[in-house]
Amino acid sequence: MQLFVWLRNLAINASVVAIVVLYSAAVAHAAQPSCGLNSGKRATGTPIPIGSINGVTGPDDFSSSAKAADAYFKCVNDNGGINGRPVNYIMADDQWRPDVASQVATKLVKDDHVVAMIGSNSIIECRANAGLYDRENVLVIDIGVAHECFTSRNIAPVNQGPRLSGVGMLRFAADSLGVKKEACIAWNIPGAMDWLCNGFAAWGKKHGVTVQNVIVDPGSSDYTSALLQAAGGAPDAMLVAFTKGAIIQSLAAAEDQDMGKTYKFISLASGYVVGLPKAIGTYWNNRFWTQLEFTPLDGTGPDNQNWIAMMDKYGSPNDPRDTFSQGGYLAAKMATEAMLKLDPAKIDRASVTEALRGIKNVRTDMLCGPWYFGNGTRHNANHTGMIAVAHEGNWKPEGGCIEVDDPELEDILAAEKSSVN
Amino acid sequence: MILPFVAAGIGLGAVYAMSGVGLVVLYRSSGTLNFAFGALGAVAAYCTWSLLRADVPPVLAWAAGIAVATALSFGYGGVVAPRLAARDRVVRAVGTLGFALFILGCIGLIWGETIPRRLTLPTDHLFVAMFSVRVTYTRLAALGVAVAMVGMIALLLNATRVGLSMRALANDRQISSLIGIRVIRVDSMAWLISGVFAGVAGLLLADMVTLNATFLTFLVIPAIAAAIFGRLQSLTGTAVGGFAAGVLESALTSVPTISSYRSGAPFVLALIFITLVAGRRSMAVYE
Repeated sequence: MQLFVWLRNLAINASVVAIVVLYSAAVAHAAQPSCGLNSGKRATGTPIPIGSINGVTGPDDFSSSAKAADAYFKCVNDNGGINGRPVNYIMADDQWRPDVASQVATKLVKDDHVVAMIGSNSIIECRANAGLYDRENVLVIDIGVAHECFTSRNIAPVNQGPRLSGVGMLRFAADSLGVKKEACIAWNIPGAMDWLCNGFAAWGKKHGVTVQNVIVDPGSSDYTSALLQAAGGAPDAMLVAFTKGAIIQSLAAAEDQDMGKTYKFISLASGYVVGLPKAIGTYWNNRFWTQLEFTPLDGTGPDNQNWIAMMDKYGSPNDPRDTFSQGGYLAAKMATEAMLKLDPAKIDRASVTEALRGIKNVRTDMLCGPWYFGNGTRHNANHTGMIAVAHEGNWKPEGGCIEVDDPELEDILAAEKSSVN
Repeated sequence: MILPFVAAGIGLGAVYAMSGVGLVVLYRSSGTLNFAFGALGAVAAYCTWSLLRADVPPVLAWAAGIAVATALSFGYGGVVAPRLAARDRVVRAVGTLGFALFILGCIGLIWGETIPRRLTLPTDHLFVAMFSVRVTYTRLAALGVAVAMVGMIALLLNATRVGLSMRALANDRQISSLIGIRVIRVDSMAWLISGVFAGVAGLLLADMVTLNATFLTFLVIPAIAAAIFGRLQSLTGTAVGGFAAGVLESALTSVPTISSYRSGAPFVLALIFITLVAGRRSMAVYE
């Protein structure tokens, strides 16, 4: 009898141990990011220089995409590199100044001999350096912010950009929130009014939505006056077309005036940041909507889960897990996969340029549609997004993918159609 | 309709008045323009934010934030400022600018600007309605703090022995030491007081403007315009000038042709002031 009890206990204990071991192994496997060759061997060959320019020190920190790309390349280097050659990822800060952007780009391109620019994110970088990249045959896969990021032959953003992001948001606001009149509140910087707000107005004209422009100085401490000015036009919704810091600032001013009860507050994808709903507080529950350029940050698809695991293992806990970070991860992943097809001994700027331009039909759970670089004279492959609303300190997705029908996209859509046909 | 913008300008006026007074307050008591006022305030705000996030009771968190700003200011006043004491006022002012950039770098290193942050105060939910605009108690408190800073410093300088020593020190450090004033001790006290003001102002500014170290540090730029109204010396003039500049800037929102450029209003106003008024008097900034 005692032997039976002993055997039974042994069996139970063994089962518990087995379950714990299997569970731990499963968890460890789930948390293990996948990248590059996945060989587990550190790359020791000649480094491949890849650059990135970001607005770090200035009104806001735009380095999250580069930090995600850096995490990805660290993972690649720990897993066999690019067929044995590690990536030397060089991140530069343009300080939100065009002269500094030009200076650091020249250093990266001419002194460091980067083979490509991956994961950059800056308000002014494309405008300052698009010409240089064209002349030097350098390709860029970045997070596009300025208009020039979407009009250059050598720059292909993985994201939609603020213009499409705003049009997508406006389309949702018109279709789902009943918005007929919108105030576009934007900074007094090049492109903000003529490209963004006027672009929203062009879309609105086609769809029966009026758009009124309100300009704010980027260094202003006074968002209350801008909001009052916008309210003077009696809009249904106010689009705060800023970066996250100024979004918080403007929403705080709106909350002081209790405007959230009267107007719908909406933003571009720059507002889609983990922690932002908590920072703005419960007043904005179901009152503040933002557009998503990629899948939701907690998306359960394999690529998004890999991005989370990648940041956990190779990023810093302080690196933001935001929409730009998702973009940086995607840019690095696509560049890595393109370079892995090359003979490592022949990797140089010319071969990488050709490989990146050849990227096509990339399908991932992080994007609503396929992504490509291609031979077009300009690039905007990502033109389908989603919407989320602030809810109990978190983001709650609202609906599925929304195709952005911006009039400016006609040439891109026509080119896509002709390439399919 | 200009009146709602005037009411909204009370908040902005409070921001400029408080920043301007913060810039000048040390000048009156020690002869040094303190460009680190905003950065010290930012430290207070960031420390408070971290403590509130760790569920520390608000009163303790505010006090701790102010204490950190005060300690840093006192430390600079005791360690660095005496070594610059013999240099002229411009060098001393530039020294505080270096201190501001050092603090800014430290904040970036410790907190960064990547996580969304907001500092709120209980006074945000209380307000006075004025021309259909809510003026929160926080904004009124900021105005009150600016006025209190002016009043307390005036009282300290004019009605106490220490204040007399401070005035002497601000006027001429060498003669002050020759007549027996304990220069380092009085100077340190001035830095201590400035640190307390910076901490309090920092919490209010982070709430009213934004919890962003760069933004708070460089609030000294419009503060310079406010300080010019007080000819870098008069606290009352600075507070009134800063408040007027804020109200004007906000009111200009109602003028569509210049609305986009309204943030230049304090500087244009200061320029006009220098040209028309101060130009006829001796500017206190010259030694």
